[in-house]
Amino acid sequence: MADAIGIAREGKAPAKARLAGAAGPRRPGGGRGRSRLFARQGVVAVGFTLPFLIIFALTMLAPIGYAIYTSLFTTKLIGGTAFSGFANYSQVLTTGWFWSGLARVAVFAAIQVPVTLFLAFFFASLFDLGVIRLGGFFRALYFVPFAVPTVVAAIMWSFLLVPQYGTYTRLVSLLGFPGTNFFSGHLIVGTIVLIVIWEVTGYNMVIFYAALKAVPREVVESAIIDGASLRTIITRVKLPMVRPAVVMLCVLNLIGALQLFTEPSIVSSFQPGAVSFGFTPMIYIYNTAIGDGEYNLAAAAAVIFALVIAAASVGWLVTVKRKGTIR
Amino acid sequence: MTASSAHPGRTLPPSRRRERGRAPDAIPLRMLGVSRRTSVTLTTICVLFALFTLAPLVWIVINATKTQYNIIQSFGFWFARPFELVHNLLLLNQNVGDDGTYLMWLEKTVLYAVTGSVGATALCALAGYAFSRYSFRGQRVLFALVMSALLVPIAALGLPLYLVYAKVGLVNSVWGMILPSMVSPAGVYLMKVFIDSSVPADLVSAARIDGAGEVRIFARIGVPLMVPGLVTVLLLSVVAVWNNYFLPLILFSQNNLYPITVGLGALASRSTSAGSTQIEPLLVMGGFITVVPLIALFLMLQRYWRGGALLGGLTG
Repeated sequence: MADAIGIAREGKAPAKARLAGAAGPRRPGGGRGRSRLFARQGVVAVGFTLPFLIIFALTMLAPIGYAIYTSLFTTKLIGGTAFSGFANYSQVLTTGWFWSGLARVAVFAAIQVPVTLFLAFFFASLFDLGVIRLGGFFRALYFVPFAVPTVVAAIMWSFLLVPQYGTYTRLVSLLGFPGTNFFSGHLIVGTIVLIVIWEVTGYNMVIFYAALKAVPREVVESAIIDGASLRTIITRVKLPMVRPAVVMLCVLNLIGALQLFTEPSIVSSFQPGAVSFGFTPMIYIYNTAIGDGEYNLAAAAAVIFALVIAAASVGWLVTVKRKGTIR
Repeated sequence: MTASSAHPGRTLPPSRRRERGRAPDAIPLRMLGVSRRTSVTLTTICVLFALFTLAPLVWIVINATKTQYNIIQSFGFWFARPFELVHNLLLLNQNVGDDGTYLMWLEKTVLYAVTGSVGATALCALAGYAFSRYSFRGQRVLFALVMSALLVPIAALGLPLYLVYAKVGLVNSVWGMILPSMVSPAGVYLMKVFIDSSVPADLVSAARIDGAGEVRIFARIGVPLMVPGLVTVLLLSVVAVWNNYFLPLILFSQNNLYPITVGLGALASRSTSAGSTQIEPLLVMGGFITVVPLIALFLMLQRYWRGGALLGGLTG
């Protein structure tokens, strides 16, 4: 084992190996002393990772395994718990709630993610090129909502938009749209899109900004010499160079959007009935487990939903990779 | 590492006096071909978005001083009499909605945030250092396993955790909240990337040749060089715990364990059913007080996140 570690180390980290042992590169197997050194390092490295890995296993891996196990059983009031195979899965997949919730968050994500990324990139590129005065001030200001807990954000926006007395509802009414109900069936998804855009645009903007700052200045300067306009520089020069950031932010925002839970549940406190039993998959899982006490069914729904999200994000990454946009 | 390293290239003298408020090394506007009209339009858009961002926060500050009647009846973006700031502050220590007091929730939130984030930062630093500065058997597989956890929806993990806790008796226990808060795969990734670039392998090797033990190298050489990365992970973990809603919501049924988010959520669900006239004022004041520490923290630690360290490898 000691030798294997020595070899692995040598292959992957020649710079380190060179310093650790003077004759490193010439001895692929490693001498006795070096092997022992690396064996000790291997033990130390495992010691360093162990605290994380133990808690990681206890709070992530074990629950996932146990949820899968639980989802294969059915608990009845009379008769107790019995193995039922994939019965819970077929029940989840045949209830309308799961699909309608999934369709709703898909629509939600299809609107929220592109709009957020567009706004975030738009502002980040303005601040990056210094087109706007006091860019640093705007940048800090736009980031502030990141420090506002989702629950608090949802409460503030609910107060502003509630149909009976919301300040924005009144302003909209003065502007010629009396009786607007932001929490009605037609508008609720749009309203939540608005709230989430408020919450996350600044964070995305900061990430874009850092990525844009890493683009060498010379690239922009030569584009200017070639006579490129501001729009060309942003869309044709800068944007392609920060593709990896775009791809990652797409995935992160998508995962977040599909898990929508907090905003609709707070809104429903202000307007009972605005949000149904299976408004989003997470709300469906919560209501099934905590509301109805159907833990096995909820576990099956959670497993399916986690798979859907993983498939969506992996699918997106694979698609992007195949098109050759990231290395 | 200090702020100066976060802003490389700031040594150039300001090129023109007319463009005040722009970074000293920015490319002159004239060269970007931005007409005055474009500039005005773009600035207007930025101001509008700033208003959109700021308005709810202004609203919450103003309405934290109002009675329930005025929160509902008066114009949201201006003050109204009576000025109830002190009265509303006192509400923070009253059990208004029968879900416990705000101060109780705050105390628990601080407990979860401090233990969770300090724990997360320590674990991420150790694991990130090991993944970055050592080579060991199974390293790649382990790292891939940890990274694949990034794709696991955190909220979808809440119910499985609850099921396990129900088995081992951790439901309604502070540990049930603290332990998962200490695990941050994203933090491990950030620390690894950060250490890759700021703790030189040669320095570690040199210390080794000088006979320093591995733990000592980590503590004396690694940690001081990792400070900006540590602060970033700490910040992100504090925010994550402070914001967490779903997990404590399904975990805790005893209101003396609620963090602020769950407490305010419970209070909000009482706001429509006619009850105490203090619910809305407490909701608004509580929301306001919740936001203050985080914004203060971000302003204090600005130099760490403004440089863009939040993002790790995304910048490359």
